[in-house]
Amino acid sequence: MENSASAALEPLLSFLTFSLSTLESGFYKLPGSAVVARYVKSSHQNDPGRTILELILIIFAIRTLLQSRTRADRSGKHFIKFSEKEIDELVDEWAPEPLVQPLTEWEQKDLSSVPVIAGPNGPKPKLFSTGKTVTNLASFNFAGLAGNEQVKDRAVDTLRKYGLGSCGPPGFYGTIDVHIDFERDIAEFLGTEAAILYSQGFSTISSVIPAFCKRGDIIVADRSVNFAIQKGIQISRSTVRWYDHNDLKSLEDTLISVEKERKKRKGLLTRRFIITEGIFERDGEMVDLPKLIELKLKYKYRIILDESISFGTMGRTGRGLTELYNVPASQIDMLVGSVANGLCSAGGFCAGSAIVVDHQRINGTSFVFSASMPALLATSGSEAITYLRNNPSVLLTLQDNIRAVRAVLEKTEGITLLGHRASPIIHFCLRTQQQSLSVTTATYDHEAEERILQDIVDDVIANGVLITRAKHLRGQEMIESRPTIRIAVTAALTKKEVEKAAGVVKTSVTRILSKRR
Amino acid sequence: MTTTTSYLHSVHHADTFSIASSPALSLSSSVTAYSEDAIMNEDDENNSLAYPRTPPTSEQVFTTVHAEFGHCTNEAYRCISKHDYTRPVQEHIIEEPPYYILLATYMSYVILYFFGYGRDFFGILFTSHFTHLLPHNGYAPLKSSFDSFYSRRLRLRILDCVSQPVTGVPGRSIIVLDRSFTDNDHALIHTGGKTRSLNISSYNYLGFAQARGGCADAVEESIRRYGISTCGTRLEGGSSELHVTAEALVARFLGMEDALISSMGFATNSTFIPALVRKGSLVISDELNHNSIRLGVRHSGAEVRMFMHNDMSSLESLLREVISQGQPKTHRPWKTILLIVEGLYSMEGTLVNLPRIVELKQKYKFYLYVDEAHSIGALGPHGRGVTDYFNIHPRSIDLLMGTFTKSFGAAGGYIAGSKTIIDALRLRGHSGPYAEAMTPPVLAQIVASMASIMGVAPTSQQTNSRLSISRDNSSVVLKENAVGFPATAPASMLPTWMNLPPALADGSEARMRISRLAFNSRYLHAGLKKLGFITYGHPFSPIVPLLLFNPGKMCTFVRLMRAWSPPIVVVIASYPATSSMTSRARFCTSAAHTKEDIDTVLRACDEVGGIMDLKHGSGERWGIDEVCERAVELVHSHFS
Repeated sequence: MENSASAALEPLLSFLTFSLSTLESGFYKLPGSAVVARYVKSSHQNDPGRTILELILIIFAIRTLLQSRTRADRSGKHFIKFSEKEIDELVDEWAPEPLVQPLTEWEQKDLSSVPVIAGPNGPKPKLFSTGKTVTNLASFNFAGLAGNEQVKDRAVDTLRKYGLGSCGPPGFYGTIDVHIDFERDIAEFLGTEAAILYSQGFSTISSVIPAFCKRGDIIVADRSVNFAIQKGIQISRSTVRWYDHNDLKSLEDTLISVEKERKKRKGLLTRRFIITEGIFERDGEMVDLPKLIELKLKYKYRIILDESISFGTMGRTGRGLTELYNVPASQIDMLVGSVANGLCSAGGFCAGSAIVVDHQRINGTSFVFSASMPALLATSGSEAITYLRNNPSVLLTLQDNIRAVRAVLEKTEGITLLGHRASPIIHFCLRTQQQSLSVTTATYDHEAEERILQDIVDDVIANGVLITRAKHLRGQEMIESRPTIRIAVTAALTKKEVEKAAGVVKTSVTRILSKRR
Repeated sequence: MTTTTSYLHSVHHADTFSIASSPALSLSSSVTAYSEDAIMNEDDENNSLAYPRTPPTSEQVFTTVHAEFGHCTNEAYRCISKHDYTRPVQEHIIEEPPYYILLATYMSYVILYFFGYGRDFFGILFTSHFTHLLPHNGYAPLKSSFDSFYSRRLRLRILDCVSQPVTGVPGRSIIVLDRSFTDNDHALIHTGGKTRSLNISSYNYLGFAQARGGCADAVEESIRRYGISTCGTRLEGGSSELHVTAEALVARFLGMEDALISSMGFATNSTFIPALVRKGSLVISDELNHNSIRLGVRHSGAEVRMFMHNDMSSLESLLREVISQGQPKTHRPWKTILLIVEGLYSMEGTLVNLPRIVELKQKYKFYLYVDEAHSIGALGPHGRGVTDYFNIHPRSIDLLMGTFTKSFGAAGGYIAGSKTIIDALRLRGHSGPYAEAMTPPVLAQIVASMASIMGVAPTSQQTNSRLSISRDNSSVVLKENAVGFPATAPASMLPTWMNLPPALADGSEARMRISRLAFNSRYLHAGLKKLGFITYGHPFSPIVPLLLFNPGKMCTFVRLMRAWSPPIVVVIASYPATSSMTSRARFCTSAAHTKEDIDTVLRACDEVGGIMDLKHGSGERWGIDEVCERAVELVHSHFS
């Protein structure tokens, strides 16, 4: 009996001895294991109690390590334990909502009323739906670069040398010499040390902001900044203070209060930024740049200025607000502009000092993780800059046209014209009974106004002029802005043509509004 | 010089031959003109890249420039990218290097950090180079010395190996602008020299990065007709008929009901995901998902949970947990759960286990969003991406996203899905009202390259035929040759002015491209394995990472590969793109590569890898000559 038991145990025992010896030899093969073994042996010899204590410590350390990994979900106080069967039942029971809410009837109408252009876009495009040629007061063709033959020739030359796509992000052989040249062209044009090119205008500033503004930094921003800036600020996780729209007095008050708070808390010196737009996309207001710079220098902030609308349209040759106000561009720490709007190509840029630009080459997410811009779009941008340098008269024409449009619209009953008088985008909203000029107070029925404005837009298009409502993502914007119609003036039309087109808008507004009454 | 003359001569022959026999092949004349140009302008000696080793015979007519898209007539060097359902879907196996390699890697970082911090410490005390990292004049530093440590102390050391500027077409070969260190090795300047190198780095999977050929001709025509820009956002007067055409074509290409196009691939994720999920929704995301997906989810404000990379059991246990637990604290059921995965992961080369995910989807009722940025065009017998590779009906997936940067040689991205969802995204995504529309030349490239992959149907079908395909979620596996998918492009869907050359229009060239890419990818994977390297990724993946581990080996590898004849440019990736312990070199194969090009890469890797002690892989090893000789056998064998 005993014999058989020991016979049965024998393989087990031999296995144990074998595995122990392999473990031991394996342990001694590890580099430095001999030192550990010697230490354990001698410490056990000196004080056996200490070995037990150390063993307990090790077990405790392992337990803590394992625990912390799962604490967040499985063993949190809100975690409910279910059996597998219960989970199966819950899974069967769960019915998800539809992924998106289907479009409402108004949204359907909104989507179907989006104009589609047949053939090239420009001052007089043809509409796809009706086949009629219209006068274009909707598209961003401020300097009249759309369809420019010089730009086209340059683009075709580039195509035949570089192909179309860059097939890689800038870090992975996607930096083409034309990108470097274009970046240098922008920097020279503006008078900054360097510039960096992003492949989409919209994604530029929402990547520039989080590249510099980190948790704990302070951002003081205009309440009415565009959506891209809002998204950039959201991602940055910085402390944000808002000041009243285009009110530099309010800005100064905010700067003073931020400084007071810091002194009270005796906080560390953190990075501080003022973020605003040159010409506001939302309503065409223009910032008082010299005053802004004065405040920035006084309170030691850095400026991130979005010149998406003003670059390529303002100043003598389109260098933007810095040229208009005769301020050196180096005063603006991060000058962000759009190649798509002002230069009729695609993409965006950020100009500034070499340190600012180089930092973005590693930390600008939509620069690093996105394919670089197609070569021919970069050379088109370069060509557009050359065009602006050589033809300063186009921007004079643009200003003439802006004045002409505003003159007609100012005389129109029932609407309020917004924005700065030199802005190439002209917004107007319906005039309310109180004659209030404020666009932030919600004393109006949003959707009803949108419908009236859309009726006006449709009527204007039917009469041969293309305009559009300013589209916003309702519910996703930080502040609800008043519905407006946005007119984009172009230098490619003569003064007579824009006057006539503005006249059409005026007639339609009067007609639609009188119908409503 | 003899090669040059004989090549010119034979091209001339081929040209006259083709014109005499078939006047329809108008392309060849333009190619010849360009070939002569290229030869005259070629100022370097690396002619093996510009001309094929064996000059073409007078019967062979090539419509591509060899430096852009390699000439390869051997039909044996083709392969079909298709999942074999008799075998289980491969799990992602991570091969571990020997311990001493890991130890050396740790030690490298310890040394780098030690010296880095040491130099910072003394530098701040004694020099003036650090003023921009310290508070001065009442301004906090723009970047802290801690945040910028990586770029100053690690990246600066390998500055000559990253962000290399190039010129010309990123095709089979690419021209690198030479640089050299100045300013005490702190900055690089261009020397003015240029080196034509073998390009195994660009995302040019199907080789559509071309300055000549049918697609480039279509792009030129579009510039002449439409100009450069459509001047505005999609919802505010920037929509062109070309957008409508391209979107319909993309939907048909993918077999989905509808599709939308965005002007930037990165922004496709970051601006449309927020319109898909809302408060009360949960996003489940693979831990290695691309930055753009993470950014999109952060913009949306939805809850997000991650599962281990491509680990289906981790995914299932997470699903069981989140569905049973509901929303945190309130325990209310989630409104929607959206699973976001990539088709092909750009740093690992791993392929998503789509069959299993589709099974899980039926059980757990989540919505599925597949980012096919790298897989579209590059995988599947018809180039339709992972769904095509696994023969899974595309409509069993809710949203297919992808980019045009890679396989189509263009730029931008798309999202395809049901009409309800896509219409909602058009209106509620950030791109619609705020971002510039895609430009006409890019649209033309997309339409031309995509139509050539689909093949243009000679008989004009009804344009809206795509709408008649009813949506069917239940059928997971397609029947062989199911009607309607993969669809051809009816001529009526293309712009009337677009005349694709016959080889592109009948889809034969694209089929050749797809099968060449599959061959090249498999060959490079298998070859590197047989040579003893540790690689990651799926055998059919055109992305082939070769593990280097040690940070110091990254720059050495790049420099040695660049010194090879002909020079080879490679991409290296480490932190932050991958974990810092698994630094790697990454190859991207292309249909433009010939078998000889892959041989060249393998030979270079063999020698460089031998010098650098990189061969730590397990499994049977072959010599380099054996690998090159038995390439076809290697490609068609089932290796693990």
